[in-house]
Amino acid sequence: MKRVDDWVTRFEESVLAFLLAAMTLVSFTQVVARYGFNAGWGGALEFTRILFAWLILFGMSYGIKIGAHLGVDAIIRLFPRPIFRAFAVFGALCAVAYAVILLYSDWLQVFGAHARGGAIDYWMKMYKVGIGLDDLRYPDLIQETFGTKERVQRWIAYLILPVGLGLLAFRSAQAVWQIITGEREMVIAAHEAEDLVAENKDVLKD
Amino acid sequence: MEAAVLFIMVLGLLFLGVPIAISLGLSSVIAIAFFSSDSISSVALQLFTASQNYTLLAIPFFILASAFMSTGGVARRIIRFAIACVGHVRGGLAIAAVFSCMLFAALSGSSPATVVAIGTIAIAGMRQVGYTKEFAAGVIANAGTLGILIPPSIVMVVYAAATDVSVGRMFLAGVIPGLVAGLMLMIAIYVNARMRKMPKQPFAGMGEILSSAGEAAFGLLLIVIILGGIYAGVFTPTEAAAVAAVYAFLIATFIYRDMGPLKGIPIRKEGESIGSAVARNLWLILVYFLPGCFHSDTKKVLTDAAKTTIMLMFIIVNALLFAHVLTSERIPQAITDWMIGVGFNWFTFLIAVNILLLIGGQFMEPSGLLLIVAPVVFPIGLELGVDPIHLGIIMVVNMEIGMITPPIGLNLFVTSGITGMSLFRVVQAAAPFVAILLVFLVLVTYMPVLSTWLPYSLMGPEIVTRP
Repeated sequence: MKRVDDWVTRFEESVLAFLLAAMTLVSFTQVVARYGFNAGWGGALEFTRILFAWLILFGMSYGIKIGAHLGVDAIIRLFPRPIFRAFAVFGALCAVAYAVILLYSDWLQVFGAHARGGAIDYWMKMYKVGIGLDDLRYPDLIQETFGTKERVQRWIAYLILPVGLGLLAFRSAQAVWQIITGEREMVIAAHEAEDLVAENKDVLKD
Repeated sequence: MEAAVLFIMVLGLLFLGVPIAISLGLSSVIAIAFFSSDSISSVALQLFTASQNYTLLAIPFFILASAFMSTGGVARRIIRFAIACVGHVRGGLAIAAVFSCMLFAALSGSSPATVVAIGTIAIAGMRQVGYTKEFAAGVIANAGTLGILIPPSIVMVVYAAATDVSVGRMFLAGVIPGLVAGLMLMIAIYVNARMRKMPKQPFAGMGEILSSAGEAAFGLLLIVIILGGIYAGVFTPTEAAAVAAVYAFLIATFIYRDMGPLKGIPIRKEGESIGSAVARNLWLILVYFLPGCFHSDTKKVLTDAAKTTIMLMFIIVNALLFAHVLTSERIPQAITDWMIGVGFNWFTFLIAVNILLLIGGQFMEPSGLLLIVAPVVFPIGLELGVDPIHLGIIMVVNMEIGMITPPIGLNLFVTSGITGMSLFRVVQAAAPFVAILLVFLVLVTYMPVLSTWLPYSLMGPEIVTRP
């Protein structure tokens, strides 16, 4: 089990590193191409934006997993241990609720809301309609060999919405369980520099 | 009514330990589900489209550039240069520490990173020559906050994205206030040093200044590329950020060599002639170029930068969602009417903004707070004749001071963490300098010319299109 965990973590980190590197390189080469060769790729900006969206939406569940999302812990820490833990569970449950509502919200009607739709619904609609993105085209070679349409379909770019939210719901539910069993303290990080401080803890202490 | 429910829900969730992003997002989603007829599909889509904002696209690139620049030896080189320049005046090391923080701030744009990188070296150095630990920690905790004021700064990018002002003008607007804040800290140290007869270093000589400047120049050129490129119109701020990220990678891996496959190989060996050194290095870079791109150190920096980006952008995306709900409920409009009705003028309005941000800065991450406050405050400011760029700089300075005021000042935590001093002692040590920064806040608030002169004389006045 431990091995699988490590493998999944490595996979997640590689994907995130790849997405960021790809964004940077595409933007950089665009600048070079424009000034150096007076050329450019029309779909570059849209491609970069999609990579950016993928980075955020794929990464949000990873953020829950490693506890990177910021929150305020000063107040709940004032309470005794069991109440603190209840709040910690509540925090993780809110993340589950957020992800689930955005995935599929019709069930909220039970509580009298007029909510409908959600990420799954939207994605299915896009899949059925099959319209393409604004600028991003398939290369000619792929168009000819696979007989695809000219432009890349929107549902491919939007695939990350249901997938990312699903992963967020899963990781948050996992966090709820870990807090209940005592494996984990809470879902939030108290401040953005926790890792940095931990690495340099007390280096100047006398 | 709906506005009250929305705000109470956000604050309630926030204080119960729900992640900031989820507090904002969940409140907005629930408000939309119960009070509006929008479908949740369109809300989910907004998570995707928030990242389509061209200005915000600069953020991951700036974070990446900063991550490469924060590896190892850049801080050391900057400190060496700063000491060579100002070390020989009284209180020289402390003044050099402020100077180093200003330079490093321009490279990294992150306050906690500045405190750690400069602090770990400079505090130890200051103690060796006889400064008290309190004094050294106080100087670094305060000077480190300049990270978000001296351009390029992520908080400024966020403000520009929220209010549609130009990023280039915001960056230029931060230059003079950044220099003034640094100078005020330096003067305070100098006066203090004269009174208390603090130590000074022997003058290192022009040779040392030139050689340390040469070493630091590769890093500092980054600022020139970014600001020069934007100002000369060579590229947009977003492109400048992408170029900066690639440049920072090349410098960190192949010139400074604190990471990657060339780590530990000197640029010029003992007794090597310049010609053969150049040839040997060109060969090394050629051979190790691809291994450098795929080295495990490079991947680690990329992953770290991705983590920071995700943490920040998840808050920003949800804050945008929240701001969208605010605007669609016409809440900013209501607050504007109320404030003007009550008789606020620009003077009292700016005091109100300062107080609101100083309190809010205690609990919220700067970018998230800015995205929530800006849509409310910006239209009022325009109505009362406050310059949009000036308002942005005021907000940034407030965030800065929020980092060094208790109970939840980020720089206080970081300084306490690296020095092993208790939080209370750090707060005490930082207090005199915080007072100086508060004076600085008053200056910036009521002297708009400090922020507006440089951008407007170089790029012309900001033209704001009313929504």
